[in-house]
Amino acid sequence: MTEALLPAWSEPFVEERRAGLVRSRPLGELDRASLFDGADGAGVTVAIIDSGVERDHPAVGGRLVRSVVIELGENDDEPTVRVDDEALDVVGHGTAAAGIIHALAPAAELVSIRVLGPDNRGKGVIFAAGLEWAIGQGATVVNLSLSSRSEVMFPIFHDLADRAYFANCLLVSAANNVQGASYPSLFAAVVSVAAHDIADPWTWFYNPAPPVEFGAYGVDVEVAWKGGGRVVATGNSFAAPHIAGLAALIRGRYPGATPFEVKTILAATANRPA
Amino acid sequence: MSPPRGPADRLDADALDLLRAIARRGVIARRLEEGAERAVLRSIVEATVRLFDAEAASIALYDPALGQLVFEVAAGEQGQGVIGLAIAPDQGIAGYVFTTGQALALSEVESDARFGRGTAEATGYVPRSIVAVPLVDERGTIGILEVLDKRSSVAFSLRDIELAGVFAGQATVAIRASRVERDLASLLRAALTSLAEPADRPTIERIVGLVTADLDGDDEGRLWTIVDRVARLRQADPGELELLAEILEVVARRAEGRAEQRRRSGRARGPR
Repeated sequence: MTEALLPAWSEPFVEERRAGLVRSRPLGELDRASLFDGADGAGVTVAIIDSGVERDHPAVGGRLVRSVVIELGENDDEPTVRVDDEALDVVGHGTAAAGIIHALAPAAELVSIRVLGPDNRGKGVIFAAGLEWAIGQGATVVNLSLSSRSEVMFPIFHDLADRAYFANCLLVSAANNVQGASYPSLFAAVVSVAAHDIADPWTWFYNPAPPVEFGAYGVDVEVAWKGGGRVVATGNSFAAPHIAGLAALIRGRYPGATPFEVKTILAATANRPA
Repeated sequence: MSPPRGPADRLDADALDLLRAIARRGVIARRLEEGAERAVLRSIVEATVRLFDAEAASIALYDPALGQLVFEVAAGEQGQGVIGLAIAPDQGIAGYVFTTGQALALSEVESDARFGRGTAEATGYVPRSIVAVPLVDERGTIGILEVLDKRSSVAFSLRDIELAGVFAGQATVAIRASRVERDLASLLRAALTSLAEPADRPTIERIVGLVTADLDGDDEGRLWTIVDRVARLRQADPGELELLAEILEVVARRAEGRAEQRRRSGRARGPR
């Protein structure tokens, strides 16, 4: 029973095991202050693929500039993109991600891509279409607090992850809370994130044992929720937006930085495990 | 010399009767197993409630025919109201976890940001904290397990999410075991196909049709009601079971006697 409890993706980041994150740093330790002080994410667009973002929520700070919904057509064939004038969040989860990103990168523009269909038809297809749309729109950073386990979707997400990488679009994906294959969170071109329990958005760890490379604050996080509300939330999907926010700051400071350069900076400025 | 014949022609009435009897037993076993699946799921949510010391735990499964998530079993003092509740698969926390496959835990919810307020109010219980994890088999997410309000703590931890995931894994295994080869027609079709030449496909379909035709028919509805009741008898004590067996034996003997009488009087009237 105990064995079954151990291998979650967040396990390397829990207090008792954090010492294992130590490694020699080939670039030494970059000075965090010189990289991040004064950075605010200006000029950066962060796409949030999730349950929608509530435009008027105070935590979003009026930075939501676009909101779309991905839907399947009448015959379940081609997914279509519909502008969501109301900018609704059907659950609250996407607003939580938006609030975390906005708190870290207040000048970044946010785009919401709602991919939760009203029923269970083709959810992987809708999710992939949302990701494709974000890449096509030139998003700088994409926050994915969800992933697909469908083997059918593997090549599609693999292709999209490569396209994003070559288009200088950084995909930041929450690892699944339960260990197991899920896409695109485990692809090398993606920044995959699990949760740690230190209550600080500015504490993040690099894990030298991939596939989940980063640990960020994701336990008992006070987040925005639908209806203008707030909740305390736990899960890898609340850790990923912290890394997405930091990536937005780096891209704001260094607009031409490629995904591997952003990843390098994140790794070289990560906290040393105490 | 007679032309080559398909398996259906080779089957005499006795063989067909035998196949029908096998099919009937298969369906009866399936009906009994459905009760067993529910019993296992119930024991899983009961264990979950006890281990978390929680107010409630429940399992909702996706019903493709309804296109909804239906709460099948629940345990705990505040759990019962949710049974039978059907929600859209993108509604509230349960829907989010089902649609995305992402487990999460929430607590300290402000009154206007309630998780799926409609759902909570429909069950008569509005939780302060919740953990929800997906039930995932090799084909995708089939449902969710959720736990409400741990008494010892205001929130569920990351470890709680993992632990709930272990229970969800158990539930998934139980569901898969009882659903495997539940479809009797396809099982029969597979068995016959493995015996026959490909050219016999239409004949096989005919046999499958003949054998399974009456299984879910209205005329036998009362028999299935009895089977379903038998499935509920797991709670009965040995004395009650003995009494029931005796009653069934008397009724069955009477019915068989009457059928035998009818057959004899039929023969007396001449060959069919």
